[in-house]
Amino acid sequence: MLLNPQFGKANAVLRSEKIIYIKERNISMLKNELILKNPLRRMGYESDDILDKGQFGAVMARAGVGKTAFLVQLALNCMLREKKVLHISLDDPVKKVSLWYKEVFSRIATQYDIPQSGQLWDAILPHRFIMTFRVEGFSVPKLEERLTDLIEQDIFKPDMMIIDGIPFEDSMSPDLANLKTLVNKHPMHVWFTIRTHRHEDPDPNGTPLQFIPVADLFEVAIHLVPVGKQILIKALKGARPHGDQTDLMLDPATMLIKDQA
Amino acid sequence: MKKDIRNLRNIGISAHIDSGKTTLTERILYYTERIHTMHDVKGKDGVGATMDSMELEKERGITIASAATYCEWLGHEINIIDTPGHVDFTIEVERSLRVLDGATLVLCAVAGVQSQSITVDQQMKRYKVPCIAFINKCDRSGANPDRVVRQLKEKLGHNAVAMQLPIGLEADFEGVVDLVSMKAIYFDGEKGEKIRLEEIPGDLMQTAFDNREILIDQASMFSDELTEAILEEKGVTAEMINTGIRQGVIARQLTPVFMGSAYKNKGIQPLLDAVTRLLPCPLDVDNQALDMNKEEQPVVLSNEIDKPLVALAFKLEDGPYGQLTYIRVYQGSLAKGDTIVNVRTGKKAKVGRLIRMHADQMEDIDTIPAGYIGALFGIDCASGDSFVAPGVSLTMTSMYVPEPVISLAIFPKDNKSEVNVSKALGRFTKEDPTFKVNVNDETGDTIISGMGELHLEVYIERMRREYQAEVDTSPPRVAYRETITQKAEFDYIHKKQTGGAGQFGRVAGYLEPIQDEDFVFENKIRGGSIPTQYIAACEKGFKNSMGKGPKMELPVTGIRVVINDGASHSVDSSEMAFQAAARGAFRQGYAKAKPVIHEPIMKVVVETPTEFQGAVMATLNQRRALIVGTQDEGPFIVIEAQVPLSEMFGYSTDLRSVTKGQAQFTMEFMTYKQVPQSIAEELLKKAAEEKKNVA
Repeated sequence: MLLNPQFGKANAVLRSEKIIYIKERNISMLKNELILKNPLRRMGYESDDILDKGQFGAVMARAGVGKTAFLVQLALNCMLREKKVLHISLDDPVKKVSLWYKEVFSRIATQYDIPQSGQLWDAILPHRFIMTFRVEGFSVPKLEERLTDLIEQDIFKPDMMIIDGIPFEDSMSPDLANLKTLVNKHPMHVWFTIRTHRHEDPDPNGTPLQFIPVADLFEVAIHLVPVGKQILIKALKGARPHGDQTDLMLDPATMLIKDQA
Repeated sequence: MKKDIRNLRNIGISAHIDSGKTTLTERILYYTERIHTMHDVKGKDGVGATMDSMELEKERGITIASAATYCEWLGHEINIIDTPGHVDFTIEVERSLRVLDGATLVLCAVAGVQSQSITVDQQMKRYKVPCIAFINKCDRSGANPDRVVRQLKEKLGHNAVAMQLPIGLEADFEGVVDLVSMKAIYFDGEKGEKIRLEEIPGDLMQTAFDNREILIDQASMFSDELTEAILEEKGVTAEMINTGIRQGVIARQLTPVFMGSAYKNKGIQPLLDAVTRLLPCPLDVDNQALDMNKEEQPVVLSNEIDKPLVALAFKLEDGPYGQLTYIRVYQGSLAKGDTIVNVRTGKKAKVGRLIRMHADQMEDIDTIPAGYIGALFGIDCASGDSFVAPGVSLTMTSMYVPEPVISLAIFPKDNKSEVNVSKALGRFTKEDPTFKVNVNDETGDTIISGMGELHLEVYIERMRREYQAEVDTSPPRVAYRETITQKAEFDYIHKKQTGGAGQFGRVAGYLEPIQDEDFVFENKIRGGSIPTQYIAACEKGFKNSMGKGPKMELPVTGIRVVINDGASHSVDSSEMAFQAAARGAFRQGYAKAKPVIHEPIMKVVVETPTEFQGAVMATLNQRRALIVGTQDEGPFIVIEAQVPLSEMFGYSTDLRSVTKGQAQFTMEFMTYKQVPQSIAEELLKKAAEEKKNVA
């Protein structure tokens, strides 16, 4: 119990959710602080995760524009709220993926001047699990098998899944539909990266061509567009249409999400 | 004299345990006529392979010490360092790689790139050792050299290119197709000593042509002459291809792959040819030393013989004739009767006997010129020491030595053992910087520490065998540490007035956590509230307190002490009084600074067939593991986790039983992390009990 009257107020707010021990209090305050500073909240999506359970989201951009960096920030944001993230990569080995997280986290910590970032990192790390496949060895049924293994053996139950580097083809539609059923059963939302190509013109709405056949399965689509020296984060699908939506961008130096201002 | 440095190769043979590198070395020595009979590692004749000279190595079928040996092939001189393959002995591997110019990475045709191959490969990268690969055991069932080449590319990121094709595989493995000369090579005679060149079998012809295309394409990246020949459709000669590949190897951008079966005596001679053709000579490699006079600025060494000597002692062995020091000369030359200086100690020594080693036999020589490896007798030094000519201030780069993470107490069983144990320990600590010995002040026990369970086990075995020292051991102990997590102030007065001269000292200031350093002391006193002559005593008092933390009597790390106030007494203050005051101040501040216990965390990598994935993860979960991720590698899966060392005892047995012996794991020290509250409480309880028992 918290006995010090100084903390009475905080205590009252927290009591309804859970008891936070004094030792953990610092970390939990830090987490909240970071969550509040999260610029994604301004993008005009309803929930903190942008996606609801069972929904699919896509981040589209050309190679090297910052798809992974963007998603890693969504993942960190999720981990800070003690939700679990399963990161699946078809391009990079485990070591490289975990380096991505470390790098992005330390940049956020520097940007917001977070003290004790080491402890915070240790505290959120157990909320992440990385799984890598080789592109040719990957299939949605195989992923389902692995995922079911993890969940049923109680090793890791993800709230969010990132699938990075899957090549989108026409034939994938049924597989993705199956996956959607699965993520509805074990409630979680899924983010995909889609690599677009310079030589292919998007359709008039700005949607990249290879996305069109599967577009129905996705509730949200975000396009990262390099404009001059900036990278704009454009909501293609799923954002609230009204006016309080601020445009966000990726800072090309740090790859962190920030306000246009 | 054939001492042409361009015809010299210093090579290592590195691999996963049980990939057959000792057998391979044995065969090389046979074909180069250094030995006249062959024995197998676990052979029925009980002689054991020549390189495994230590009793224990013979029994366990593993190679512990890297014995250096010398042989000749086609007018080239080759020094081979047989490196150990187990992760617990990586300091040996690292030291060997340091002195090599090139290496042969041995891979098993069945198991392919294993976890240890990855560790060894990382070490080769660290020391920028160019390498060629040899896929061994092509005669085993399940052999698939193609897959291994692919794994070299995917898992280790090598630009691997096959130089040969196997003719038949598994039990039908007959020989290899050489893609450079486009000939089939067969190995006849009882011991494969007769080489028969034939035309390529018809069914392999097309594959051979296709693979040769790839090979030439890769080689042309590194040779303009070859590219021109291809473009102008002139004939491409074997020499052009080899030159291109050699350039690629030296630049560490190409890894040519050879195949064979050491056990069945196939494919060894072409590998030796490749060593002489493709691996660099000492001139091709830049070696750096540090200049002690210029703040350790790096200096590139030349291989010239007339320059002053710079050499590195990379291995010690205690033989029947005294201490044998393996040495590599980087610059100048080392001759009998020379005076040399040990840079670390500054001591001079005279070179007595110089020898060249062949496993456990030796040959006397007069000089060791730059680039060569040899050994000398009667020099007192530790592994990793640099030797130079008098007046030179260069030292070879210091080698990375990790801190030990596990320890246990040893108790000699009788008087005779006691004497021998101390002899053995003296030698082991000199040979292996990761192996440490100290005596517990309180209990008087002798504590040995090292890098893992097996590491310590092997030394205990060696004491038994080589020194006839029987010892009992305590269960292994993990090296826990204490540290603080927040800033805390102290203000402590030490006062004693019990007749005679009194004691008085007051010390005030604060403690705070720091990272990357163990102990920092800062004096911010203005105005002399503590007289200057007592500041050193204060520092000493604080420093002494670090050895044994007030929380659990563990070593304390990561603390900055700042003193900013105090008081003294003109008569009663003394150094002793201020030391005592500092100790008291430390205890006072420490208690307020939220002390915690830290434990060593190991990076554990398990390779298991896919079907045991869940079971293996469960074994890790039981051990407080943080599973970082899994990497899918087709038939098997690689699980990466961070596990506290204290939970890893006996893991190999557990892993074997849940995977029917089909999984393997490696473990290396990663970092120190805070122990969870519940475990910390248990540790505290245990410590309190032990204290009671001692008292």
